[in-house]
Amino acid sequence: MAAINQRERNNGETGYNWPFFVSGEGWYKRFLVIFLGVSVGGVFFVWYIQHSNDVSPDSIAGYTYAIIGTLFLLLAAVSYSLKRRSHKKKTVGQLHSSLNWHICFGVLGLVFLFLHSFGNFNPRTGTYALYGMIALALSGMIGRFLDRLVPRLITGEVHKALTVMGDDRIETISQKLQAIVVHNTQDLHSFAVVPGEKSQDASTSMVSLSGPVSSDFSFIHKDQALQTPWDLAYISLEATPQELSLEANHYRFIPDKKSALVHPGALMPGAQEHISELQEVEQAMQRELFYRYIIRYWRKFHILLALLTLALTIWHLVYAGQLLLPVLLHR
Amino acid sequence: MLKSGFKSGADNVVMLHKTVPQVAQELHACIGCNECLLACPAATESITIDVLNRETLSGPISVPVARFARSCYQCGACVAPCPVGLHRDAMMMWLKVRMLRSGWSE
Repeated sequence: MAAINQRERNNGETGYNWPFFVSGEGWYKRFLVIFLGVSVGGVFFVWYIQHSNDVSPDSIAGYTYAIIGTLFLLLAAVSYSLKRRSHKKKTVGQLHSSLNWHICFGVLGLVFLFLHSFGNFNPRTGTYALYGMIALALSGMIGRFLDRLVPRLITGEVHKALTVMGDDRIETISQKLQAIVVHNTQDLHSFAVVPGEKSQDASTSMVSLSGPVSSDFSFIHKDQALQTPWDLAYISLEATPQELSLEANHYRFIPDKKSALVHPGALMPGAQEHISELQEVEQAMQRELFYRYIIRYWRKFHILLALLTLALTIWHLVYAGQLLLPVLLHR
Repeated sequence: MLKSGFKSGADNVVMLHKTVPQVAQELHACIGCNECLLACPAATESITIDVLNRETLSGPISVPVARFARSCYQCGACVAPCPVGLHRDAMMMWLKVRMLRSGWSE
């Protein structure tokens, strides 16, 4: 236990776990407000339907619920948006508090407007507006869930895309791959190169060795291999680079038809692994980008739903106004 | 030689993460005005920008900074208000990767 404490002191906070919840004084306050609001609205609803015959959205209680619900929704929509865009001097944490009030007012508004319906879900403007509000509240809840989940997914992908030291893995793998290609190309240069085939890739050059070898060496340039007299006395007892490579499992010096060396890219040991590693990193970056889009566009979707709900609510208010105004004017 | 197919820089689509040398460069360029923290909807408690900068790159991570990193949801609200055009979201991402890796090594 003491060792764990010592390690925590040395390393500080560790881990980026998924089930993370911040509970503070502010959270309890807002939960209490929601609880009180729902309780008051619910108790009054029960009392009203037991003591009144007029249980419809256009009753006095219905209008009260509608006004309170609309006010809450307006508070939810306006308070956070204005706070976020205001240029007034803010303190750290003020926006977070404002976001929590936005959620609190949103939930209360939805509950009160639901009570305003009194269970009437006829296909009218009010019902469509209510559906819009439900969709809006749901999109907000899903958005908060995504805010928790998606950054953790992004971090997992970034972990794959960066090396332990925090460098770009694509760059590192590319350099390794380049080194392998250069190394193998240099190895091939130690063999006699047929004129006109200099530009061939490594695999083709090696495969050409498996064919019948001409005894005519007149085409070989002076600065190329096999320049020295072909005498046993000149054969060194030291291992050549090619012989040293024989120790490697992937290397077969004399390729035959069954050998893996006849396949293209066989002379680049490790290259395939690096290429697949490269593809993995690229996929991780694509996923990172996708998750980034989710965060970005879910907010836009939520705002679009808010605008749609506002339009439906205005439509409902106009419809309700057309019904109400003649009644009020005749009184 | 190898093209990842991702746009970067001033293009519309920007990869979220940056390498450690880039993060170090941005941290060095930070003027400590606190605008990013003021614009952050995830910051719940008062942490100072110099502590955050100090702990982002290396060394032990304190509890408030770790809590802030865990609550950050990469919305990018911190990027626009920066007067010197730094990417606090990318810096936070490296901090999260560090925390993730340290959690795995336990």
